[in-house]
Amino acid sequence: MFVILTYDVGEKRVNKVRKHLKKYLIWTQNSVFEGEITDGKLKKCLSELNHILNREEDSLYVYEVKSPKFITKTIYGQEKNIDELFL
Amino acid sequence: MDRDYYIFSNGRLKRKDNTIYFIDSQDNKNSIPVEQTNSLHIFGEVDLNTKLLNYLPKYGVILNFYNYYGYYSGTYYPRKKNVSGFTVVKQALHNFDYNKRLFLAKSFIDSAVHHILRNMRRHKEDIKELIEKIELERLNIERANRIDELMGIEGRIRKYYYQSFNWILRDDFTIERREKRPPKDPVNALISFGNSLMYTAVLSEIYKTQLDPTISYLHEPSTKRFSLSLDIAEIFKPLIVDSVIFYLINNRIITLENFDDQDGICFLNEQGRKKFIREYEKKMSTTIKHRKLKRKVSYKMFIRLECYKLIKHFIGDEVYKPLKAWW
Repeated sequence: MFVILTYDVGEKRVNKVRKHLKKYLIWTQNSVFEGEITDGKLKKCLSELNHILNREEDSLYVYEVKSPKFITKTIYGQEKNIDELFL
Repeated sequence: MDRDYYIFSNGRLKRKDNTIYFIDSQDNKNSIPVEQTNSLHIFGEVDLNTKLLNYLPKYGVILNFYNYYGYYSGTYYPRKKNVSGFTVVKQALHNFDYNKRLFLAKSFIDSAVHHILRNMRRHKEDIKELIEKIELERLNIERANRIDELMGIEGRIRKYYYQSFNWILRDDFTIERREKRPPKDPVNALISFGNSLMYTAVLSEIYKTQLDPTISYLHEPSTKRFSLSLDIAEIFKPLIVDSVIFYLINNRIITLENFDDQDGICFLNEQGRKKFIREYEKKMSTTIKHRKLKRKVSYKMFIRLECYKLIKHFIGDEVYKPLKAWW
């Protein structure tokens, strides 16, 4: 499953959320992550995030695409992070 | 989704923000998601510290190291968690009993030959004689009574098989005979590089099961090597590595420019290795619908399934039937 995850959280928690998501997904832009992930791992990730987020103020959007085949990604301008097999 | 990452640049690998960071010599920072990482393959000159080495095992991430020439030199493994004395004892007993050992050795070779012929069949017209020779040798497998006899048969089959490469591959690539340590021509270099990737892949799958990688059947279980991974790799070498080689050469993806020659030793340069690995990874994650499991299974998973089948065989659950590609 391919996931795009965006968040808008209080300034205090931005870094915490970013650091947490880095363990699971690939950072694409400020407050945007994407990548392939299994259902189970996504659940685990979100339940851990639940401890960080403040439900009253913060928002988190998760876009799921069942197959990465159905998504095309075009980048205009600078590509910020290149996810590569090789480093 | 567990991915492998290949590090070719020089730099530093460290734990930061509770995930893996790679900082290359130009100070570019790259973060790697730990939860999605299966193993890291390190080809470049990389510094790392104990903080990272203490952190990786928590997530079961494996570090594979390769030397300057791209040969496998070793692995840093997490503490083995899947241990089962019962399975290991049974596994050892199957080595101790010569007939049981012979059965498994025959199974491995039979499957390897099946995949070898499968590769050759596409070029049936030109190499009819070689195919016939191999099919004749194949009949001897059933009759063999000793392991070394079996090894001899395998050696001869391999010889015919490598001869057929001259027809299968494009004109500018030829092979006279298989030469390891060191490979002297491009085709040998490709086979060696591919096989060493295969061994590490099989070994890391074995580590996920209860099997002991040192107790083997076809290869003599000796000290200093994980010979069970050599046994199982036998099945997958023609199925995965060789077909990647054919694809790369015949589609002119890898050309003679991708090889370096140093004092008669031929090896892939960095560009070549990257091309090879990209195709190899693609192949490994290709899925095929499994007939019994009724779901899609990747080539990588097929390796693990082979280990499970062996365990079932050892504990007397189900007789081992080696993988024979049906697709």
